[in-house]
Amino acid sequence: MSWIPFKIGQPKKQIVSKTVERDFEREYDKLQKLEDQTKKLHKDMKKSTEADLAMSKAAVKISADLLSNPLCEQDQAFLDSMTALDTAMRRMDSFNQEKVNQIQKTVIDPLKKYSGVFPSLNMAVKRREQALQDYKRLQSKAEKYEEKEKTGPVMVKLHQAREELRPVREDFEAKNKQLLDEMPKFYYSRIDYFQPSFEALIRAQVVYFTEMYNIFSELTDQIDQAGLTDEQRERETEAKLSELRALSIVADD
Amino acid sequence: MTYEELENKTRRLKSLFFLLFSTEEAAAKERAAQRQMLAIEELVHSERNYLRLLRLSSGTIRNNLQKLQPPPADLDSVFLDIEDVIDVSSRLLGLLDQKLVQPGDPRFLETLCESFLGLSSDIEAAYKEYLANYNQVTVVENSYKQKEALWNDVVRVIKTSAPEVNATSLSFFLVMPVQRIARYPLLLQTIQKHTEKTHPAYALLERTAHTSIALNYRINEYKRFREVADKYKKTETLTIKDKIYRLNTHSIAKKTARFGQHIRHETGMAPKLVDEEFDALEGFFYVLEHGILELLENVETYLYHLQGFLSCRTEEFDLDMDGEKAPICYKEITTALRQWILPTFEKRMRTLIRKPLGALRDLLVGPRNLIRKRLDKLLDYELIEAKSNLSYEEQDVANTYRTMNTLLLNELPQFTGVALQMIWSVLGTFSCLHRDLAADMEQLFQSFAQQLPHSSMERGAFREWAESAVLEGARRLETLCRSVEHTLNGPVVQPLSPSSRRRLKQLTDKHGSGKIYQVVGSVVGSRDLDLNLARGELVAIISEADTRGDKRRWLVDAGGPRGYAPSSKLIRYHQPTEDPPPSPQLTLPDGVTETRRHSYTPESQPMTVMSQPCFQVLAAYDFTATGNHEVSVRAGEPVRVLEPRDKRGNPEWSLVEARGGARGYVPSNYLAIAPRPPHH
Repeated sequence: MSWIPFKIGQPKKQIVSKTVERDFEREYDKLQKLEDQTKKLHKDMKKSTEADLAMSKAAVKISADLLSNPLCEQDQAFLDSMTALDTAMRRMDSFNQEKVNQIQKTVIDPLKKYSGVFPSLNMAVKRREQALQDYKRLQSKAEKYEEKEKTGPVMVKLHQAREELRPVREDFEAKNKQLLDEMPKFYYSRIDYFQPSFEALIRAQVVYFTEMYNIFSELTDQIDQAGLTDEQRERETEAKLSELRALSIVADD
Repeated sequence: MTYEELENKTRRLKSLFFLLFSTEEAAAKERAAQRQMLAIEELVHSERNYLRLLRLSSGTIRNNLQKLQPPPADLDSVFLDIEDVIDVSSRLLGLLDQKLVQPGDPRFLETLCESFLGLSSDIEAAYKEYLANYNQVTVVENSYKQKEALWNDVVRVIKTSAPEVNATSLSFFLVMPVQRIARYPLLLQTIQKHTEKTHPAYALLERTAHTSIALNYRINEYKRFREVADKYKKTETLTIKDKIYRLNTHSIAKKTARFGQHIRHETGMAPKLVDEEFDALEGFFYVLEHGILELLENVETYLYHLQGFLSCRTEEFDLDMDGEKAPICYKEITTALRQWILPTFEKRMRTLIRKPLGALRDLLVGPRNLIRKRLDKLLDYELIEAKSNLSYEEQDVANTYRTMNTLLLNELPQFTGVALQMIWSVLGTFSCLHRDLAADMEQLFQSFAQQLPHSSMERGAFREWAESAVLEGARRLETLCRSVEHTLNGPVVQPLSPSSRRRLKQLTDKHGSGKIYQVVGSVVGSRDLDLNLARGELVAIISEADTRGDKRRWLVDAGGPRGYAPSSKLIRYHQPTEDPPPSPQLTLPDGVTETRRHSYTPESQPMTVMSQPCFQVLAAYDFTATGNHEVSVRAGEPVRVLEPRDKRGNPEWSLVEARGGARGYVPSNYLAIAPRPPHH
C-alpha cells in the first residue's frame, strides 16, 4: 500500500501493476466504508430502540402514577378517564415492545452479524499484504543477484533465490486473485442482505403507528375537549393560571 | 452556449483539473462531483416525472372518468387542489429551464436553490391546502370502492389512460404530492452531502434544505389546525370530559376525613381544634401537590428520552444503497419523523404540557406556605382561645388565625378545582398529541404503501417472510465467511521458528521434501490413532489413505508421533530454502570424482538415502561452442552431465546434454551445483 515508506529491498520490477493495485485499494476502501457505516447504523439503531423503550415506559409511568394517586378516587368520571388513559398507555407500551422485538430480530441482529464478517476479511487483506511484502523482498533479492557478475556462487545463489521466490509469488497471486474476486461479491451481497431488514423496519413502524392512531383517537374523543387549536389551548391554560394567580392564597406574602 | 461548446468547456476544465491535482485526488474529487451531479439530476428528473404523472391524472384520467355513465360522484372535489400543486411544480421546472444551464454546470445548483427558495411560499400555500384536504380524497375513493361495478370502471379507465404506469387506484396518483413535499428534504440533503463546503452555492443549498424542512413543519401545523376547525363543527354530547369541567370541589373536600390523618403524619403535630372540613381540604391539597410534582417529573423524563431518540439519526447511514427502494423509503420516513414530525410533537409537548405544569407547580408555593402559617397561628390561637378577656395582641392573633382559616377554606377548593381542571386538560392534550403524531405518520406511510414490494402482505405473512429472509441472509453470510477464511487464511509462507525448522529438517531427511505438509487449522482427533495437531505444524505424509482406504484420512508423521489427520486440513508445504547447502568445490584436476557424488546420470553412483535427487548441475557462465564437439550453454541453464571428462580423460572438460538435447563438451569449471526444488 502507498503508505509504506521506501524500504531497502524494494524490487525494481513492478510486481503488481498500478491498475491492479488501484483496483484492489478501491474495492477495499469500499469495504472499509461499508464496515464503518454498518457499525454506525448498528450503534444508532441500538441507541434509538433503547430511547424508544425508555420513552414508552416513561409514558406508562405518567398514567400509572396518576392512577395510584388518591386524586383519582374522588370522582367516578375522573377515575374512569384515568383508567382509560392508563389502559391506552399500557397497550401502546406492549405494541412498542413488540415493535422493538421485531426490529431486534430483523434489523439489529442482522447488522451485527454482517459486521462480524469484516474481521476475517481484514485479516485476509493483511495476509495478502504480508505475502506481497515477502514477495517484494524475495523479488528484490533475486534481482540483486541478477545484476551481479555471473560467477558460480552467484549463479547458485540466484537459482536459490528464484526457487525461494516461486512459492511466495504463487501464494501472493492466489491470495490477490481470491480477494479481487471475493471483495466485490461480498460488497454486492449487502443489497440482498439488507433489503428485508429495511422493509421489516418500515413495516414494524407502520403497524405501531396504526395502533397508536386507533388507540389515541378513541381516547382523545373520550377525554379531550374537541375543536381546540393549539392557540386556543394555550389561551385556556393561561386563563386558568390567571384565575389561580388572582387568588389571595397564591400570592406569596 | 451550445451543448458541444459546453462539453468542450467541461472537458478542458476536467483536464485542467487533472493537471492541478494528482490523479488519485482528482479521481476522488471527480467521483464526488459525479455523485453530486447525480443527486441534482435525481431531484430534477423526479420532479419532471412527478409533474407528468400529476398532469396525466388531472387531465386524461379525470376527463375519462367524467365520461363514465354515470360519472362518479364528487369527482371534482378529489381534483380540487391538484391544480395549484401542478402550477407550482411547473413553475419550478420552468425557472430551471429558463436559465439555460445544464446540471453539469456549477451554476445549476445555485439556480435550483434560488428557484426553490423563491417559490417556497407558493409551494407552502399549494401543498398546505392539498394535504389538509387529502382525507377527502381517501373518503371519496373509498366510497367508489364500495360499488364494485363503479370501481372496476375506474380502475379500467386508469389502466387505459396510463398503461405504462402500474397504477390500480386513483390514490396512486393523488398521494404523490403528499410524498413529494416530504421528499424534498432528503433530496436536498443528499445533494448537500456530496457538496464541498467550499462550493460557492453551499450556504444557499443549506438554507434551501432547512427551508424544505420548515415547509413541512408549517404544512403539517396547518393540516392539524384545519382538522380541529372542521371537527368543531360537529355537535357535542355530554361526555366524561364535560363532567370534569363541571367539577364540584367542595363536594370532593367534604367526602373524606382521612386526609386529616395525612396532616398529622406530615407535621407531627396534632392541633386540638379539629376542623374536619379544613383537614380534608388541606389533605387534598397535599395530594394534589404530590401529584403535580410527580407528573412534572415524569413528563420531564419522557421528554428526556424523546430527545435521546431524536439524537440517534438512523437515517444518516450510507451503505451505498441509494438505488434500492426499501432503504430509500426508510430514509425518507425517518427523515420526516426525526426532522419535523417528532420535533413538532416535542414542541407541542413542551408548550402545551410541560410549560403549564411548570407554571402550576410554581403556584403551589403560596398556598403551601399559607397552610403552614395557619397551623402556626392555630397553635397560638389554641393557647388563648379559652380566655374570655383577650389583650389587643391576643385579639390580633385570634383575628389573624380566623382570617387565614376563612381565606383558605374559601379559596383552597377553588385552587384545587382549577388545578384539577388544568391537569385534566393537559392529559387530554397529551392524548391528542399522540393521535396527531400517529396521524402524521399514517399520512406519510400512505405515500410509500405502493412502493414496497411486500406491503400488501398481511401482518402475519409479512413477519414470516421477513424472519425467513433474514435467516437466509445469515446462512449465506456464513457460507461466504467460511469460504473467505478457508481460502485466504491458509498459513503464511513465513520464516520458521527454530523448532519448526528442526522438525522440517527431521521430516525432510526422513521422508523427502515432497511429503511435507502444513496443518491449516487445528485438529483435534476423535478416533483411535487420530492425532491432535496445532495450526501451522509441519508433518510428513506417510500414506494418503487409512487402512480402510478412506482418502480423507491420511497417515502422517508429526516428528515422532504418528497417526491420522484429516486431509482437508493439510496443504503442501513449499520450502523456501534459507541456507543453501555449501557449494561443492568446482573441478580440480584431481579428486574430482569424489565431489561429483551427487550428479545424476542414473548409470553412475548409486543413489543416496534421498528418495529423489535434490541437487542439479547448472552452467554458471555463458559458453559458446567453438567447435563441433562443444555445445553452447547459457548461464543458469540446467545441464545433464554425461561424462565428467573428455575422450582423452581430461577432467577439465565435461560432456553434457544441454536444453533441447544438444550434447557436447563444456569447460568443467563452467558448471555449478545447486539445490533443485521438489517437483510438484
